[in-house]
Amino acid sequence: MKNLVFVFIACISLTACSGNKNKNEKSGSLRAEITAAGATFPQPFYNKVFNDYSTMTGNKLTYGGIGSGGGIRSLKDKVVDFGATDAFLTDEQAAELPAPVVHVPTCLGAVVIAFNLPGITELKMKNEVLASVFLGEIKKWNDPKILADNPGINLPGKDISVVYRSDGSGTTFIFSDYLSKISKSWADKVGTGKSLNWPVGMGAKGNPGVAGIIKQTEGTIGYIGSEYAFAQRIPCVLLQNQAGNFIAPSVESVSAAAQGDIPADTRVMVTNSADPDAYPISAFTWIILYKEQSYNGRKIDQARETVKFLQWLVGPDAQAIARKVDYAPLPEKAVQLANDILKSVTFEGEPLL
Amino acid sequence: MIRSREIFTSDKIAKVILKSASFLVLLLAAGIIFSLLKGSIPAFREFGIFRFIFSSEWNPTEGKEVYGAFPFIFGTVVTSLLALIICFPLSFATSLFISEYFKKTKIAGILSTLVDLLAGIPSIVYGLWGFYTLRPLIVDLGLSEQGYGIFTSSLILAIMIIPYATSLSNEIISMVPNELKEAGYSLGATRLEVIFNVILPVSRSGLVAGYILALGRALGETMAVTMLIGNANLIPKGIFSPGNTMASVIANQFGEADGLKLSALIAIGLLLFVVTAIVNAAGKWIVRRYA
Amino acid sequence: MLDKLDPLMNLMKSDNRNTPDRSSWRDKKNKLFLGLVVTLSIVTVLPIFLILWKLVKEGISQINLDFFIKVAPDPLEAMTAVNNGEIIPGGIANGITGSLLMVLIASLIAIPVSILAGIFLYEHPNGWYARLIRNLTDILQGVPSIVLGLIAYIWIVISITKGFSGLAGSVALAIMMLPIVIRSTEETMKMIPVTLKEAAAALGVPYWRIILKVMIPTGFSGLMTGILLSISRILGETAPLMLTALGSTMINLNIYKPTSAVPLLIWEFYNNPNMVRLVWSSSLFLMGVVLVLNILAKRINSRFGNNQ
Repeated sequence: MKNLVFVFIACISLTACSGNKNKNEKSGSLRAEITAAGATFPQPFYNKVFNDYSTMTGNKLTYGGIGSGGGIRSLKDKVVDFGATDAFLTDEQAAELPAPVVHVPTCLGAVVIAFNLPGITELKMKNEVLASVFLGEIKKWNDPKILADNPGINLPGKDISVVYRSDGSGTTFIFSDYLSKISKSWADKVGTGKSLNWPVGMGAKGNPGVAGIIKQTEGTIGYIGSEYAFAQRIPCVLLQNQAGNFIAPSVESVSAAAQGDIPADTRVMVTNSADPDAYPISAFTWIILYKEQSYNGRKIDQARETVKFLQWLVGPDAQAIARKVDYAPLPEKAVQLANDILKSVTFEGEPLL
Repeated sequence: MIRSREIFTSDKIAKVILKSASFLVLLLAAGIIFSLLKGSIPAFREFGIFRFIFSSEWNPTEGKEVYGAFPFIFGTVVTSLLALIICFPLSFATSLFISEYFKKTKIAGILSTLVDLLAGIPSIVYGLWGFYTLRPLIVDLGLSEQGYGIFTSSLILAIMIIPYATSLSNEIISMVPNELKEAGYSLGATRLEVIFNVILPVSRSGLVAGYILALGRALGETMAVTMLIGNANLIPKGIFSPGNTMASVIANQFGEADGLKLSALIAIGLLLFVVTAIVNAAGKWIVRRYA
Repeated sequence: MLDKLDPLMNLMKSDNRNTPDRSSWRDKKNKLFLGLVVTLSIVTVLPIFLILWKLVKEGISQINLDFFIKVAPDPLEAMTAVNNGEIIPGGIANGITGSLLMVLIASLIAIPVSILAGIFLYEHPNGWYARLIRNLTDILQGVPSIVLGLIAYIWIVISITKGFSGLAGSVALAIMMLPIVIRSTEETMKMIPVTLKEAAAALGVPYWRIILKVMIPTGFSGLMTGILLSISRILGETAPLMLTALGSTMINLNIYKPTSAVPLLIWEFYNNPNMVRLVWSSSLFLMGVVLVLNILAKRINSRFGNNQ
């Protein structure tokens, strides 16, 4: 029996080490293996479309949700084909990378404000009220400022327990970007970032952590990614957008947020959009890749397959899937810009598409 | 003549192989320390080593970044020691049950397997179970309002490290030569006396090694602690208050970190090395002096 | 060897035998202690039952044949299934194969080195070099798995495989196995009576033979325990694999490429609101594996070891 075990182990090890080299040579077709890593915010969407593309074309796509920072790091270290991030790179951050990168938006998501008050499913909050709650200035649910926006709703005298993300996250970045735009007090005291020095509340890890606490504890309020809230049917606050309307988060209201101006490199935060139907805490999520694809001994086929995939990703088929998993598809303008950007990606100076 | 030379050479080869294996371990540890040092330098340069270690400020806001490791060092040491204290009586008793009192019986075998199962539970599952089952229990008992904090984390850590201490202790205790125990009984000692005066001294080294391994596990645990400790980047006010540990903050912030923050986290990883060394040394010294 | 009885001898000498009630107090202490041991053992086992119960309650519904042979479901499938109240389709085959592969390779890397290092430490109880190695080993145990993942990322992902790979994952896991196997080997060897070794040496048996034919078989049970414990540990580790193996939606046997693993899948399931149920089923699976390994180890012990 000892010998059998030994042979078994030897076989598996040999198979593993020889890898898929044989398969590729036999089939002759472009069975490319594309690896990407980055943000967890769009992960359900990416997992679905990566899977579909793999089945469709026979290429093998892998995505690791290790965080936007991890995605940027992996691209910097040149161990992935492209990275994914919720916060676009500033000029300083882009300068730290060994070569110029381009941003390609892939879809839109939203950050919702979830809460737990038994018996209450609809709650409105004006901008100043929201900021004050998270700053710790409004401490109780039946504070007159909250009551003013919600006539007829019986708010209890409970303390407000704020919940925030203890791990660094793009969701935090998007939410804080919005708060900084609508509240000078917030911008001065706390600011924008993936990780913040929260004035009040407690931290939980990941969307599931925050959602878990909110669902289990009465009187809590916190922010989570929209697809999470939709799937778990957690009640969300209706926020007032720039036009003055109270909007609930939905695929339509998130898409509306992207109707404004988008710069050519697509690096823009669309929170607090001016569009009347827009949900105020919406945002793009991007894929980043090197503009010049011949680096590190990269083959032209690999580069071409990567860009082809990304073109499919911003195309109508993939975007239709976004809607199904509760993400908002890119507006026409963004798709146009994304295609332009992809066409500017080169290999040894020559565009790939 | 020739025979003794043959044995001499093969002995030498064997000893060289053994030494090389140990040298590999040394290389590995040195390599890890080196890589961590390299990554920590930006943080140490920015904040100064001593300030970094003893400062309690942790502000990740861009533009005003300040990082200090003290709250995490405190949290790590307290939770791990508390976990070991809770684990020790449970683990020791279970080992005695399995390897001494009920040695080689069926129930001992079942108990031993059950304890080993604890080692196979993924740490994320410990975190989840702690979150859904343990935390409400603590709240119901009125010990804490939300259930997060040092105590809850220490409790889950204690459960997690039990198999490391127990498994090794089982082996060690069962390997105590029967002749010694029988000699003790023949002198008229009770079971209890044989345990504390024969078995314990003989197996002390192995038992300590087991508990040091368990302690190491507690010091480095991330997922389970991160879900139950409350993630407050400050020194906890009491045993039921939230706090944070070094491993937990690294795991939490790592995915999104870059630049100075990443360096600060790597520095904390390096410091954990140092903290583990100190705690281990202290533990071994205490045992040598008092046990 | 008789000097090991010194503590007991001292106790017996100091024990005042002239007091008639003494012996019944010693008896009472004895019985009380037994009661304490049994009680504490029950307390120790309690969490195991509680956790197992939770796992079974939440996860058993998802375990069927598909669970073992199909790959992880995509988010849409899971969402539709949950909305319709059905069992989530798919399984964790990609994770099972990945875990199997990486654990195997990690074991092949770690176990031989660890046992040899452990024997080295046993042979050198004193001396600054051995003490250094021993301390470093103990410290290694305290390094968080995510830091080891980072190390493997720097050493393997960036430099060797130039991309995420199962090999990097195996290296990270191997490093985690080292302290446990090294120390359990050393301590097990120390418990073997020196007389056995001396007898063999007196017969002219060469050193390496003594190790292979006398020491290792006698201490086999202890070695197996260390190996089993280390494998159980790495089976459930997520953090290091996130930075090294990354994950994969398909079954992948090529260690130079990203590969999935059961704990990685558990992490993905945890983060996806529609797949949470699979977290419990996958954990149940891992515990099943540990159980099987445990039983296997006991079988091997009785066949190949010959301890007291």
